[in-house]
Amino acid sequence: MTNVSFENYLLNFGFGTKEEKREILRANPEKIVVMDLSCYDPQDFYAEFTNLAGSFAALFCDEAKKIEVHFRERHDDILKKLIELGFKPLEVSIISCGFIFPRTIVQIINEAHFALEEGVAGREDINRAMRFGVNYPKGPFEWSAGRELFVRTLLEELLTKTQDKRYVASNLI
Amino acid sequence: MKLEKIVVIGAGTMGSGIAQWFTQAGLRVTLVDSSETQLRKALSDIHDSWDKLVARGKLAGAESLKERLSISSLEATDPSADLVVEAIIENLEIKKGLFRKLDALFAPHTILASNTSSFPIAQMAEALSPSRKPKLLGLHFFNPATIMKLVEVIKGPDTDEALCHDLYRWFDERDKKPALCKDSPGFIVNRVARNFYGEPLRIVGNDANESLLREVDSVLREIGGFKMGPFELMDLIGIDVNYSVTCSVWEAYGREPRFTPHPLQKKLVDEKRFGRKSKRGFYTYD
Repeated sequence: MTNVSFENYLLNFGFGTKEEKREILRANPEKIVVMDLSCYDPQDFYAEFTNLAGSFAALFCDEAKKIEVHFRERHDDILKKLIELGFKPLEVSIISCGFIFPRTIVQIINEAHFALEEGVAGREDINRAMRFGVNYPKGPFEWSAGRELFVRTLLEELLTKTQDKRYVASNLI
Repeated sequence: MKLEKIVVIGAGTMGSGIAQWFTQAGLRVTLVDSSETQLRKALSDIHDSWDKLVARGKLAGAESLKERLSISSLEATDPSADLVVEAIIENLEIKKGLFRKLDALFAPHTILASNTSSFPIAQMAEALSPSRKPKLLGLHFFNPATIMKLVEVIKGPDTDEALCHDLYRWFDERDKKPALCKDSPGFIVNRVARNFYGEPLRIVGNDANESLLREVDSVLREIGGFKMGPFELMDLIGIDVNYSVTCSVWEAYGREPRFTPHPLQKKLVDEKRFGRKSKRGFYTYD
Protein backbone atom coordinates (compact mmCIF):
# COMPACT_ATOMS: atom_id res chain seq x y z
CA MET A 1 0.00 0.00 0.00
CA THR A 2 1.06 3.59 -0.58
CA ASN A 3 -0.05 6.64 1.37
CA VAL A 4 -0.11 10.18 0.00
CA SER A 5 -0.52 12.90 2.65
CA PHE A 6 -1.30 16.55 1.94
CA GLU A 7 -2.77 19.23 4.22
CA ASN A 8 -5.00 17.28 6.61
CA TYR A 9 -5.81 14.59 4.03
CA LEU A 10 -4.50 11.08 3.55
CA LEU A 11 -4.98 9.09 0.38
CA ASN A 12 -4.35 5.36 0.68
CA PHE A 13 -3.61 3.40 -2.52
CA GLY A 14 -3.08 -0.25 -3.31
CA PHE A 15 -4.15 -3.63 -2.07
CA GLY A 16 -4.28 -4.48 1.63
CA THR A 17 -6.20 -6.88 3.81
CA LYS A 18 -9.24 -5.50 5.59
CA GLU A 19 -7.23 -5.42 8.81
CA GLU A 20 -4.37 -3.54 7.13
CA LYS A 21 -6.87 -1.00 5.79
CA ARG A 22 -8.40 -0.63 9.26
CA GLU A 23 -4.96 -0.13 10.76
CA ILE A 24 -4.34 2.85 8.44
CA LEU A 25 -7.61 4.40 9.59
CA ARG A 26 -6.87 3.73 13.27
CA ALA A 27 -3.36 5.19 12.96
CA ASN A 28 -4.61 8.45 11.41
CA PRO A 29 -7.56 9.61 13.51
CA GLU A 30 -6.76 13.30 12.89
CA LYS A 31 -6.65 12.91 9.10
CA ILE A 32 -9.44 12.95 6.57
CA VAL A 33 -8.86 9.64 4.81
CA VAL A 34 -9.95 8.45 1.36
CA MET A 35 -8.79 4.94 0.46
CA ASP A 36 -8.84 2.27 -2.20
CA LEU A 37 -11.48 -0.24 -1.18
CA SER A 38 -11.82 -1.99 -4.55
CA CYS A 39 -12.13 -5.43 -2.94
CA TYR A 40 -14.38 -4.58 -0.02
CA ASP A 41 -17.67 -2.96 0.94
CA PRO A 42 -16.97 0.70 1.77
CA GLN A 43 -20.14 0.85 3.86
CA ASP A 44 -18.58 -1.50 6.43
CA PHE A 45 -15.67 0.91 6.79
CA TYR A 46 -17.87 4.05 6.83
CA ALA A 47 -19.84 2.52 9.69
CA GLU A 48 -16.67 1.89 11.67
CA PHE A 49 -14.53 4.96 10.98
CA THR A 50 -15.67 8.57 11.03
CA ASN A 51 -12.34 9.76 9.57
CA LEU A 52 -13.04 7.87 6.31
CA ALA A 53 -14.52 10.52 4.01
CA GLY A 54 -14.64 8.46 0.87
CA SER A 55 -13.34 5.51 -1.10
CA PHE A 56 -12.31 4.61 -4.61
CA ALA A 57 -11.64 1.57 -6.81
CA ALA A 58 -8.30 1.77 -8.59
CA LEU A 59 -7.05 -1.83 -8.43
CA PHE A 60 -8.80 -2.85 -11.63
CA CYS A 61 -8.19 0.30 -13.65
CA ASP A 62 -6.10 0.14 -16.80
CA GLU A 63 -3.57 2.57 -18.24
CA ALA A 64 -6.33 5.16 -18.73
CA LYS A 65 -6.50 5.33 -14.89
CA LYS A 66 -10.24 5.97 -14.80
CA ILE A 67 -11.59 5.16 -11.35
CA GLU A 68 -14.87 5.17 -9.44
CA VAL A 69 -14.84 7.50 -6.45
CA HIS A 70 -17.50 7.63 -3.76
CA PHE A 71 -17.67 10.36 -1.13
CA ARG A 72 -19.45 10.24 2.17
CA GLU A 73 -18.42 13.89 2.48
CA ARG A 74 -17.33 15.48 -0.78
CA HIS A 75 -13.84 17.03 -0.80
CA ASP A 76 -12.84 18.87 -3.98
CA ASP A 77 -9.21 18.94 -2.82
CA ILE A 78 -9.12 15.16 -2.91
CA LEU A 79 -10.53 15.06 -6.42
CA LYS A 80 -7.93 17.62 -7.50
CA LYS A 81 -5.16 15.54 -5.94
CA LEU A 82 -6.35 12.36 -7.66
CA ILE A 83 -6.28 14.22 -10.98
CA GLU A 84 -2.80 15.56 -10.19
CA LEU A 85 -1.71 11.98 -9.61
CA GLY A 86 -2.88 11.04 -13.09
CA PHE A 87 -6.26 9.51 -12.26
CA LYS A 88 -9.53 10.34 -13.99
CA PRO A 89 -12.07 10.07 -11.18
CA LEU A 90 -15.71 9.36 -11.95
CA GLU A 91 -17.86 10.20 -8.94
CA VAL A 92 -20.53 7.60 -8.20
CA SER A 93 -23.52 7.60 -5.89
CA ILE A 94 -23.96 3.82 -5.80
CA ILE A 95 -21.95 2.21 -3.07
CA SER A 96 -21.71 -1.53 -3.35
CA CYS A 97 -19.19 -4.17 -2.31
CA GLY A 98 -16.63 -3.99 -5.11
CA PHE A 99 -18.14 -0.80 -6.55
CA ILE A 100 -19.59 -1.20 -10.09
CA PHE A 101 -16.76 -2.02 -12.49
CA PRO A 102 -14.67 -4.32 -10.25
CA ARG A 103 -17.74 -6.26 -9.14
CA THR A 104 -18.91 -6.79 -12.71
CA ILE A 105 -15.52 -7.59 -14.16
CA VAL A 106 -14.57 -10.15 -11.48
CA GLN A 107 -17.70 -12.11 -12.30
CA ILE A 108 -16.84 -12.12 -16.01
CA ILE A 109 -13.27 -13.15 -15.15
CA ASN A 110 -14.53 -15.87 -12.81
CA GLU A 111 -16.80 -17.37 -15.47
CA ALA A 112 -13.96 -17.36 -17.99
CA HIS A 113 -11.83 -19.29 -15.47
CA PHE A 114 -14.63 -21.81 -14.90
CA ALA A 115 -14.90 -22.31 -18.67
CA LEU A 116 -11.13 -22.85 -18.83
CA GLU A 117 -11.24 -25.19 -15.81
CA GLU A 118 -13.95 -27.29 -17.52
CA GLY A 119 -11.96 -27.44 -20.77
CA VAL A 120 -14.58 -25.54 -22.80
CA ALA A 121 -11.84 -23.54 -24.55
CA GLY A 122 -8.32 -22.26 -24.05
CA ARG A 123 -7.34 -18.83 -22.69
CA GLU A 124 -6.63 -17.33 -26.11
CA ASP A 125 -9.87 -18.63 -27.59
CA ILE A 126 -11.88 -17.24 -24.66
CA ASN A 127 -10.16 -13.85 -24.90
CA ARG A 128 -10.70 -13.78 -28.65
CA ALA A 129 -14.36 -14.83 -28.37
CA MET A 130 -15.21 -12.02 -25.96
CA ARG A 131 -13.27 -9.39 -27.89
CA PHE A 132 -14.60 -10.25 -31.33
CA GLY A 133 -18.02 -11.73 -30.49
CA VAL A 134 -19.29 -9.02 -28.17
CA ASN A 135 -16.69 -6.29 -28.69
CA TYR A 136 -15.23 -6.37 -25.16
CA PRO A 137 -12.24 -4.03 -25.05
CA LYS A 138 -10.13 -6.82 -23.50
CA GLY A 139 -10.44 -10.54 -23.03
CA PRO A 140 -11.19 -11.78 -19.48
CA PHE A 141 -7.68 -13.19 -19.03
CA GLU A 142 -6.13 -9.93 -20.20
CA TRP A 143 -8.14 -8.14 -17.51
CA SER A 144 -7.18 -10.59 -14.79
CA ALA A 145 -3.46 -10.83 -15.59
CA GLY A 146 -1.56 -9.82 -12.45
CA ARG A 147 -4.80 -9.12 -10.57
CA GLU A 148 -5.69 -12.66 -9.49
CA LEU A 149 -5.30 -11.76 -5.80
CA PHE A 150 -7.74 -8.85 -6.14
CA VAL A 151 -10.22 -11.00 -8.08
CA ARG A 152 -10.16 -13.77 -5.48
CA THR A 153 -10.35 -11.34 -2.55
CA LEU A 154 -13.38 -9.54 -3.99
CA LEU A 155 -15.17 -12.80 -4.83
CA GLU A 156 -14.53 -14.09 -1.29
CA GLU A 157 -15.81 -10.82 0.17
CA LEU A 158 -18.97 -10.95 -1.97
CA LEU A 159 -19.53 -14.59 -0.97
CA THR A 160 -19.07 -13.80 2.72
CA LYS A 161 -21.40 -10.81 2.60
CA THR A 162 -24.18 -12.32 0.47
CA GLN A 163 -23.79 -16.07 1.18
CA ASP A 164 -24.75 -16.42 -2.49
CA LYS A 165 -22.90 -19.29 -4.20
CA ARG A 166 -22.77 -17.32 -7.44
CA TYR A 167 -19.60 -15.77 -5.98
CA VAL A 168 -17.71 -19.03 -5.40
CA ALA A 169 -14.36 -18.59 -7.15
CA SER A 170 -12.96 -20.94 -9.78
CA ASN A 171 -10.05 -23.07 -8.55
CA LEU A 172 -7.90 -21.53 -11.28
CA ILE A 173 -8.00 -18.04 -9.77
CA MET B 1 -8.80 -27.23 -46.66
CA LYS B 2 -10.55 -26.31 -49.86
CA LEU B 3 -14.10 -24.94 -49.73
CA GLU B 4 -15.73 -23.84 -52.97
CA LYS B 5 -19.47 -24.40 -52.77
CA ILE B 6 -21.49 -23.46 -49.71
CA VAL B 7 -25.17 -23.84 -48.92
CA VAL B 8 -26.71 -21.68 -46.20
CA ILE B 9 -30.13 -22.75 -44.98
CA GLY B 10 -32.39 -20.08 -43.51
CA ALA B 11 -32.79 -16.66 -45.14
CA GLY B 12 -33.44 -14.74 -41.91
CA THR B 13 -31.04 -12.15 -40.49
CA MET B 14 -28.31 -14.63 -39.53
CA GLY B 15 -28.57 -16.86 -42.59
CA SER B 16 -28.51 -13.90 -44.98
CA GLY B 17 -25.51 -12.40 -43.19
CA ILE B 18 -23.64 -15.71 -43.26
CA ALA B 19 -24.41 -16.20 -46.96
CA GLN B 20 -23.25 -12.65 -47.71
CA TRP B 21 -20.01 -13.14 -45.80
CA PHE B 22 -19.14 -16.45 -47.51
CA THR B 23 -19.83 -14.87 -50.91
CA GLN B 24 -17.57 -11.93 -50.04
CA ALA B 25 -14.95 -14.48 -48.97
CA GLY B 26 -14.88 -15.70 -52.60
CA LEU B 27 -17.09 -18.78 -52.45
CA ARG B 28 -20.04 -19.84 -54.56
CA VAL B 29 -23.03 -19.70 -52.22
CA THR B 30 -26.61 -20.96 -52.43
CA LEU B 31 -29.10 -19.52 -49.95
CA VAL B 32 -31.98 -21.85 -49.18
CA ASP B 33 -35.29 -21.22 -47.41
CA SER B 34 -38.73 -22.81 -47.39
CA SER B 35 -40.26 -19.41 -48.19
CA GLU B 36 -39.59 -18.10 -51.68
CA THR B 37 -40.76 -14.63 -50.61
CA GLN B 38 -38.18 -14.61 -47.81
CA LEU B 39 -35.49 -15.82 -50.19
CA ARG B 40 -36.19 -13.10 -52.74
CA LYS B 41 -36.24 -10.44 -50.02
CA ALA B 42 -32.93 -11.69 -48.58
CA LEU B 43 -31.30 -11.72 -52.01
CA SER B 44 -32.56 -8.23 -52.78
CA ASP B 45 -31.32 -6.93 -49.38
CA ILE B 46 -27.86 -8.44 -49.94
CA HIS B 47 -27.68 -6.96 -53.46
CA ASP B 48 -28.70 -3.56 -52.07
CA SER B 49 -26.02 -3.82 -49.41
CA TRP B 50 -23.33 -4.52 -52.04
CA ASP B 51 -24.61 -1.72 -54.28
CA LYS B 52 -24.34 0.71 -51.36
CA LEU B 53 -20.79 -0.46 -50.64
CA VAL B 54 -19.89 0.12 -54.30
CA ALA B 55 -21.49 3.60 -54.19
CA ARG B 56 -19.43 4.45 -51.11
CA GLY B 57 -16.27 3.23 -52.78
CA LYS B 58 -15.80 0.38 -50.31
CA LEU B 59 -16.26 -2.33 -52.92
CA ALA B 60 -14.81 -2.28 -56.45
CA GLY B 61 -17.79 -3.99 -58.07
CA ALA B 62 -20.76 -6.11 -57.10
CA GLU B 63 -21.38 -8.08 -60.29
CA SER B 64 -19.05 -10.98 -59.55
CA LEU B 65 -20.48 -11.23 -56.04
CA LYS B 66 -24.05 -11.25 -57.35
CA GLU B 67 -23.09 -13.92 -59.87
CA ARG B 68 -21.74 -16.18 -57.10
CA LEU B 69 -24.80 -15.95 -54.82
CA SER B 70 -27.96 -17.79 -55.80
CA ILE B 71 -31.20 -18.82 -54.13
CA SER B 72 -32.85 -22.21 -54.26
CA SER B 73 -35.24 -24.61 -52.61
CA LEU B 74 -33.57 -27.39 -50.63
CA GLU B 75 -34.74 -30.07 -53.05
CA ALA B 76 -33.24 -28.24 -56.06
CA THR B 77 -29.88 -27.52 -54.42
CA ASP B 78 -26.68 -28.97 -55.83
CA PRO B 79 -25.93 -31.91 -53.50
CA SER B 80 -22.18 -31.68 -54.02
CA ALA B 81 -21.67 -28.66 -51.71
CA ASP B 82 -18.54 -28.72 -49.54
CA LEU B 83 -20.27 -27.16 -46.53
CA VAL B 84 -23.88 -26.65 -45.47
CA VAL B 85 -24.55 -24.13 -42.70
CA GLU B 86 -27.92 -24.31 -41.00
CA ALA B 87 -29.30 -21.02 -39.62
CA ILE B 88 -32.99 -21.78 -39.17
CA ILE B 89 -35.32 -21.22 -36.20
CA GLU B 90 -33.98 -22.24 -32.75
CA ASN B 91 -36.12 -25.34 -32.36
CA LEU B 92 -34.30 -28.58 -31.68
CA GLU B 93 -36.84 -30.94 -33.24
CA ILE B 94 -37.06 -28.86 -36.42
CA LYS B 95 -33.27 -28.70 -36.63
CA LYS B 96 -32.95 -32.45 -36.13
CA GLY B 97 -35.51 -33.05 -38.87
CA LEU B 98 -33.54 -30.79 -41.19
CA PHE B 99 -30.23 -32.51 -40.44
CA ARG B 100 -31.83 -35.89 -41.17
CA LYS B 101 -32.82 -34.55 -44.62
CA LEU B 102 -29.42 -32.95 -45.23
CA ASP B 103 -27.68 -36.21 -44.39
CA ALA B 104 -29.73 -38.02 -47.03
CA LEU B 105 -29.50 -35.27 -49.67
CA PHE B 106 -25.86 -34.23 -49.66
CA ALA B 107 -22.74 -35.99 -50.88
CA PRO B 108 -20.68 -38.07 -48.43
CA HIS B 109 -17.92 -35.43 -48.31
CA THR B 110 -20.27 -32.54 -47.36
CA ILE B 111 -19.60 -30.96 -43.96
CA LEU B 112 -22.74 -30.05 -42.02
CA ALA B 113 -22.72 -27.14 -39.56
CA SER B 114 -25.24 -25.53 -37.25
CA ASN B 115 -25.29 -21.85 -36.33
CA THR B 116 -27.24 -22.68 -33.17
CA SER B 117 -26.60 -20.50 -30.14
CA SER B 118 -28.37 -22.74 -27.69
CA PHE B 119 -28.58 -26.42 -28.62
CA PRO B 120 -25.86 -29.01 -28.11
CA ILE B 121 -24.30 -30.25 -31.32
CA ALA B 122 -24.49 -33.74 -29.76
CA GLN B 123 -28.29 -33.63 -29.85
CA MET B 124 -28.35 -32.65 -33.51
CA ALA B 125 -25.88 -35.44 -34.28
CA GLU B 126 -28.50 -37.96 -33.10
CA ALA B 127 -30.34 -37.37 -36.39
CA LEU B 128 -27.34 -38.32 -38.53
CA SER B 129 -25.97 -41.54 -39.93
CA PRO B 130 -22.76 -42.84 -38.28
CA SER B 131 -20.64 -41.89 -41.30
CA ARG B 132 -21.86 -38.25 -41.22
CA LYS B 133 -21.43 -37.65 -37.48
CA PRO B 134 -17.69 -36.82 -37.71
CA LYS B 135 -18.62 -34.16 -40.30
CA LEU B 136 -21.09 -32.28 -38.08
CA LEU B 137 -19.94 -29.29 -36.04
CA GLY B 138 -21.15 -25.93 -34.77
CA LEU B 139 -20.22 -22.72 -36.57
CA HIS B 140 -21.68 -19.95 -34.45
CA PHE B 141 -21.58 -16.58 -36.18
CA PHE B 142 -22.44 -13.28 -34.51
CA ASN B 143 -24.82 -10.64 -35.80
CA PRO B 144 -24.15 -8.88 -38.14
CA ALA B 145 -22.17 -11.75 -39.62
CA THR B 146 -20.49 -9.56 -42.25
CA ILE B 147 -19.08 -7.26 -39.55
CA MET B 148 -18.61 -9.28 -36.35
CA LYS B 149 -15.35 -11.19 -36.65
CA LEU B 150 -15.97 -14.08 -34.30
CA VAL B 151 -16.96 -17.58 -35.36
CA GLU B 152 -17.18 -20.13 -32.54
CA VAL B 153 -16.01 -23.45 -34.01
CA ILE B 154 -17.76 -26.03 -31.87
CA LYS B 155 -16.55 -29.59 -31.67
CA GLY B 156 -19.32 -32.06 -30.93
CA PRO B 157 -18.50 -35.39 -29.23
CA ASP B 158 -18.24 -37.18 -32.59
CA THR B 159 -16.77 -34.34 -34.67
CA ASP B 160 -13.47 -35.07 -36.36
CA GLU B 161 -10.94 -32.98 -34.46
CA ALA B 162 -8.82 -32.39 -37.58
CA LEU B 163 -11.88 -30.94 -39.33
CA CYS B 164 -12.32 -28.38 -36.53
CA HIS B 165 -8.68 -27.35 -36.75
CA ASP B 166 -8.84 -27.13 -40.55
CA LEU B 167 -11.92 -24.89 -40.40
CA TYR B 168 -10.32 -22.80 -37.65
CA ARG B 169 -7.35 -22.15 -39.94
CA TRP B 170 -9.62 -21.54 -42.92
CA PHE B 171 -11.54 -18.79 -41.09
CA ASP B 172 -8.37 -17.38 -39.57
CA GLU B 173 -6.97 -16.85 -43.06
CA ARG B 174 -10.12 -15.00 -44.20
CA ASP B 175 -10.80 -11.98 -42.01
CA LYS B 176 -12.61 -13.94 -39.26
CA LYS B 177 -11.48 -14.56 -35.70
CA PRO B 178 -12.34 -18.18 -34.93
CA ALA B 179 -12.47 -19.54 -31.39
CA LEU B 180 -12.39 -23.27 -30.87
CA CYS B 181 -14.65 -24.61 -28.14
CA LYS B 182 -16.27 -27.67 -26.73
CA ASP B 183 -19.95 -28.50 -27.14
CA SER B 184 -21.12 -26.99 -23.87
CA PRO B 185 -24.14 -24.78 -23.02
CA GLY B 186 -23.75 -21.20 -24.25
CA PHE B 187 -20.40 -22.19 -25.81
CA ILE B 188 -18.01 -19.33 -24.88
CA VAL B 189 -19.71 -15.99 -25.46
CA ASN B 190 -23.25 -16.69 -24.31
CA ARG B 191 -21.85 -18.23 -21.16
CA VAL B 192 -19.08 -15.78 -20.17
CA ALA B 193 -21.19 -12.73 -21.06
CA ARG B 194 -24.05 -13.66 -18.71
CA ASN B 195 -22.59 -11.77 -15.78
CA PHE B 196 -22.19 -8.57 -17.78
CA TYR B 197 -25.97 -8.41 -17.28
CA GLY B 198 -26.48 -10.44 -14.10
CA GLU B 199 -24.06 -8.57 -11.86
CA PRO B 200 -25.21 -5.02 -12.70
CA LEU B 201 -28.79 -6.20 -12.07
CA ARG B 202 -27.71 -7.27 -8.59
CA ILE B 203 -25.91 -3.98 -8.00
CA VAL B 204 -29.03 -1.91 -8.73
CA GLY B 205 -31.48 -4.39 -7.17
CA ASN B 206 -35.21 -4.76 -7.74
CA ASP B 207 -36.17 -1.13 -7.33
CA ALA B 208 -33.69 0.40 -9.74
CA ASN B 209 -34.54 3.92 -10.82
CA GLU B 210 -33.38 5.45 -14.07
CA SER B 211 -30.55 7.48 -12.53
CA LEU B 212 -29.00 4.33 -11.00
CA LEU B 213 -29.27 2.48 -14.32
CA ARG B 214 -27.64 5.40 -16.13
CA GLU B 215 -24.87 5.52 -13.55
CA VAL B 216 -24.04 1.81 -13.97
CA ASP B 217 -24.17 2.09 -17.78
CA SER B 218 -21.92 5.13 -17.65
CA VAL B 219 -19.31 3.50 -15.34
CA LEU B 220 -19.11 0.37 -17.49
CA ARG B 221 -18.72 2.45 -20.64
CA GLU B 222 -16.33 5.05 -19.22
CA ILE B 223 -14.22 2.90 -16.93
CA GLY B 224 -14.76 -0.59 -18.33
CA GLY B 225 -14.41 0.54 -21.95
CA PHE B 226 -17.51 -1.39 -23.05
CA LYS B 227 -19.24 0.07 -26.10
CA MET B 228 -22.62 0.01 -24.33
CA GLY B 229 -23.68 -0.34 -20.72
CA PRO B 230 -25.58 -3.48 -19.70
CA PHE B 231 -29.00 -1.87 -19.38
CA GLU B 232 -28.89 -0.01 -22.68
CA LEU B 233 -27.55 -3.17 -24.32
CA MET B 234 -30.32 -5.36 -22.87
CA ASP B 235 -32.84 -2.82 -24.17
CA LEU B 236 -31.26 -3.09 -27.63
CA ILE B 237 -31.02 -6.90 -27.68
CA GLY B 238 -34.50 -7.31 -26.21
CA ILE B 239 -34.99 -8.01 -22.50
CA ASP B 240 -37.13 -11.04 -23.44
CA VAL B 241 -34.36 -12.43 -25.67
CA ASN B 242 -31.68 -11.84 -23.04
CA TYR B 243 -33.86 -13.36 -20.29
CA SER B 244 -34.55 -16.41 -22.46
CA VAL B 245 -30.81 -16.99 -23.09
CA THR B 246 -30.11 -16.57 -19.36
CA CYS B 247 -32.81 -19.10 -18.44
CA SER B 248 -31.58 -21.52 -21.09
CA VAL B 249 -27.95 -21.39 -19.84
CA TRP B 250 -29.11 -21.57 -16.20
CA GLU B 251 -31.23 -24.69 -16.89
CA ALA B 252 -28.52 -26.30 -19.02
CA TYR B 253 -26.06 -25.96 -16.12
CA GLY B 254 -28.49 -27.51 -13.63
CA ARG B 255 -29.58 -24.14 -12.21
CA GLU B 256 -26.02 -23.17 -11.32
CA PRO B 257 -26.26 -20.05 -9.06
CA ARG B 258 -23.83 -18.06 -11.24
CA PHE B 259 -26.44 -18.01 -14.01
CA THR B 260 -29.57 -17.42 -11.93
CA PRO B 261 -31.84 -14.94 -13.74
CA HIS B 262 -32.61 -11.77 -11.81
CA PRO B 263 -36.25 -11.18 -10.73
CA LEU B 264 -36.22 -7.76 -12.43
CA GLN B 265 -35.68 -9.44 -15.83
CA LYS B 266 -38.80 -11.57 -15.37
CA LYS B 267 -40.79 -8.62 -14.05
CA LEU B 268 -40.00 -6.52 -17.12
CA VAL B 269 -40.81 -9.40 -19.48
CA ASP B 270 -44.12 -10.00 -17.68
CA GLU B 271 -44.92 -6.31 -18.08
CA LYS B 272 -44.01 -6.58 -21.80
CA ARG B 273 -41.23 -4.07 -21.32
CA PHE B 274 -38.90 -5.70 -23.85
CA GLY B 275 -36.66 -2.71 -24.52
CA ARG B 276 -36.37 -0.55 -27.62
CA LYS B 277 -38.66 -2.73 -29.71
CA SER B 278 -41.60 -2.11 -27.33
CA LYS B 279 -40.45 1.46 -26.55
CA ARG B 280 -40.13 0.59 -22.86
CA GLY B 281 -37.55 -1.50 -21.11
CA PHE B 282 -35.08 -0.36 -18.50
CA TYR B 283 -35.45 3.02 -20.21
CA THR B 284 -38.33 4.64 -22.07
CA TYR B 285 -38.02 5.47 -25.78
CA ASP B 286 -40.20 7.93 -27.71
